[in-house]
Amino acid sequence: MRLIRSQKPDSAGKPPSVFRLSPREKVVLLATLKLYPQLDLGYHQLSRDPKSSKPAQQEWLKEAMEQQRQEHKKRLAQFFSNDRRFFNEAEEDLLLTLTGEQMEWLLRVLNEIRVGSWVRLGSPELETVRKLKPTVAQARLLTAMELSGYFESALLEAFS
Amino acid sequence: MAESATPVAPPETEKKEKTDPKELRDRGYLVICWNDPVNLMDYVTHVFQSVFGWPKAKARRHMLQVHENGKSLLVRETFEKAEHYVHQLQGYGLNATLERDE
Repeated sequence: MRLIRSQKPDSAGKPPSVFRLSPREKVVLLATLKLYPQLDLGYHQLSRDPKSSKPAQQEWLKEAMEQQRQEHKKRLAQFFSNDRRFFNEAEEDLLLTLTGEQMEWLLRVLNEIRVGSWVRLGSPELETVRKLKPTVAQARLLTAMELSGYFESALLEAFS
Repeated sequence: MAESATPVAPPETEKKEKTDPKELRDRGYLVICWNDPVNLMDYVTHVFQSVFGWPKAKARRHMLQVHENGKSLLVRETFEKAEHYVHQLQGYGLNATLERDE
């Protein structure tokens, strides 16, 4: 997936950014997005120092993350059910058209998949990951991590 | 958690501190971003720009602090504002916390 037209995102009224990708990349992108969510809500900690926050404040963070998760899931369902709105055919490839706000959302979802997959792998250093002889389950997580990173990088190009 | 590993530029609201001593007293919470090997460097820079409205150079400087020093002190704020920032940063998947500046 590569950026072919970018306008400065997040400015209302500006034209959206356009990415070119192959039909296979589209399948992979959608398959990656279907892995959402990956992170356990217990991952989110308000503070490392127990004296800096109260249990109720920690609980509020968890609730906020849960609410965000529900919103992302709802939006993803809409994205999957109406993907023709985003993807247009262009010769043998596809064009994915996204507004700045849609890119921002997609980035967050992809990053959740990346971070969540890494946490499920046991939060290893990346050097350790590369030396792994992964099980099937670990290989799936590694693939999810790498693919989400790949699509994130393509999206980030539009912001740079 | 009295000090950060690295110096940071003053928060945008520094002028307020001079005119509002109560707020100055209340701003005893540090928002810290901790390093992890999984968040992409460009992504972290982008998140700092989005959440704090920082120019890219400042966002990138803090990202590099996280990467090289293990953490970066992002802002010093009241509890409510610090909590708001932590919610936002964690919503983006960053490893950010608030700590009382003692």
